Amino acid sequence: MIDRMPANRIAPLVGREGLGGHYWLLTFRHAETAVGARAGQFVMMKAGLSAEPPLRRPFSIMDTDPGQETFTLFVKEVGPGSRALCALEPGDVAQCLGPLGRPFSTPPDGTEALLVAGGYGVAPFRLFGREVGRSGGKARLFYGGRTASDLPLLDRLAATGLPVVPATEDGSVGHRGRVTAPLVEWLDRPPGPARLYACGPDAMLHAVARLAGERAMEAEVSLESWMGCGLGTCLGCVVLVQGAGEARPKHRCACTEGPVFDTARILWPGEEVSRAARGAAEAVA
Amino acid sequence: MNLSVEIAGLRLRNPLIAASGTFGYGVELEGVVDLSRLGGFVSKGLFLEPRDGNPTPRLAETPSGLLNAIGLQGIGIHAFVRDVLPRIARHDTVHLVNVCGDTVEEYAEVARVCDGAPGIAGLEVNISCPNVKKGGILFGGDPRMTHDVVAAVRRATRLPVIPKLSPNVADITVFARAAEDAGADALSCINTILGLAIDVETRRPKLAYGTGGLSGPAIRPIAVRMAWQASRAVGIPVIGVGGISSASDALEFLVAGCRAVQIGTANFVDPGVHERVLADLEAWLERHGIDDVNSVVGTIEYPGLPGPGVCETEVCR
Repeated sequence: MIDRMPANRIAPLVGREGLGGHYWLLTFRHAETAVGARAGQFVMMKAGLSAEPPLRRPFSIMDTDPGQETFTLFVKEVGPGSRALCALEPGDVAQCLGPLGRPFSTPPDGTEALLVAGGYGVAPFRLFGREVGRSGGKARLFYGGRTASDLPLLDRLAATGLPVVPATEDGSVGHRGRVTAPLVEWLDRPPGPARLYACGPDAMLHAVARLAGERAMEAEVSLESWMGCGLGTCLGCVVLVQGAGEARPKHRCACTEGPVFDTARILWPGEEVSRAARGAAEAVA
Repeated sequence: MNLSVEIAGLRLRNPLIAASGTFGYGVELEGVVDLSRLGGFVSKGLFLEPRDGNPTPRLAETPSGLLNAIGLQGIGIHAFVRDVLPRIARHDTVHLVNVCGDTVEEYAEVARVCDGAPGIAGLEVNISCPNVKKGGILFGGDPRMTHDVVAAVRRATRLPVIPKLSPNVADITVFARAAEDAGADALSCINTILGLAIDVETRRPKLAYGTGGLSGPAIRPIAVRMAWQASRAVGIPVIGVGGISSASDALEFLVAGCRAVQIGTANFVDPGVHERVLADLEAWLERHGIDDVNSVVGTIEYPGLPGPGVCETEVCR
């Protein structure tokens, strides 16, 4: 659900900070996104007005400053689109369409938001941590990556007052191993009413979805999908989704019906039926 | 200055149409673009029944292009007429439906449903989608079948009938004439070009379907050539489509003999592209002292070229 209409306009780069390891913080002026964006929403961006690469790229919105009419992206250079964006200098412009997509839903009163991030999937959780805090709720971030340099936002996020539990596969910072390990430890305590929110690599999202299923928890994940347009017209980013009352899964656009989905509705690899549909069928039987 | 053009009895306020498959059902763009500023738009291809399309990945970016195999995912003509048409009707725009079918009968039935529905100005007949097993290219790759399906749609509707021709043929003029003989009011030239992109690490096609249709600036010279050939071969108007993202791109097609153009892939890159193309087109006309866009049509200077209807390029010999 989009609260406000997205706006398609040129966005000048007003700030750029290198975080090492091909990670950047990029701040653009784009009033509609700065004022209207909610955590989990994204923008479609392309550096300058050049022809190559042909398509814009989706980027999760990390932070907004409505007063300055700016928003900030946390970008890793991974291909020609993100590289071109990270090469912009302040004063250069990008094409920007946003804010787009369905945001994370605010947890109900008394429910803790457990945020699970892998690598640059941490992007939406700066804004989300603030949203949860503003609504009087509690949030805790489990932040994982391969090695310490893949967690360049660790200190900054901790400095905002958000409890952060880091994990790296090589043990260079925080827990050694996958980010789901400290999450499972936390869930085993148990922590009281909690809802899971995840953004990162597919395998991590699937692991979070499995955990949610095993423990009958609600969970939302932000899916990364190859998007051509961001508006639901190219139908390139579809994912198989099946709601509780639906007889069969359907292709749904990650850009307009997502990128945030309830994990129970997603058809994960190897599944014939979604957890939501299975649950509904069992309830009837 | 006059920017309006007439195609198949339809008056368009300018020659820029949003191409099928790149503009959804129009309503997705509400609030982002002003639909009334377009010459018109063609909605995503529709069969009688809903379609789930192909598995993912469906898109691969290529140099100056986009390879897609969406597979005509759609809600079906009945849901479209019931749920979407009333929303489109709120906009002052010329709306064409892209008609699909697995069989000649299905094309005709979809056309019949459209015929009785308000808010549809005309039909584009999709005989050229390369990404479905049945229909599509099967009809567009054989002149007899092109004739049969266009004739069946013609009999089923009073609306203007505009077949969209495939570039995946040796001589498009044969298909252009077959469509004209079958009663087409205009032609859209061209659909996507069949392509294949391979991931060399896995040695598998980059698209789940395997092959796909190539669009974007990469195909523009091919599209201009084929639209030009088609426009010389028939008396009905030709709408040029393929890789347009600027006014000069659009002008190439107009100069080549097209009465209007469609903008496709560029809508993904910039949903506001038609505003920029329109402003630049107007500026170009003004700069050249031309007060009617129609007077540009077919003004190609091609020394040594024989008269209309005779094609002297390599592919036609």
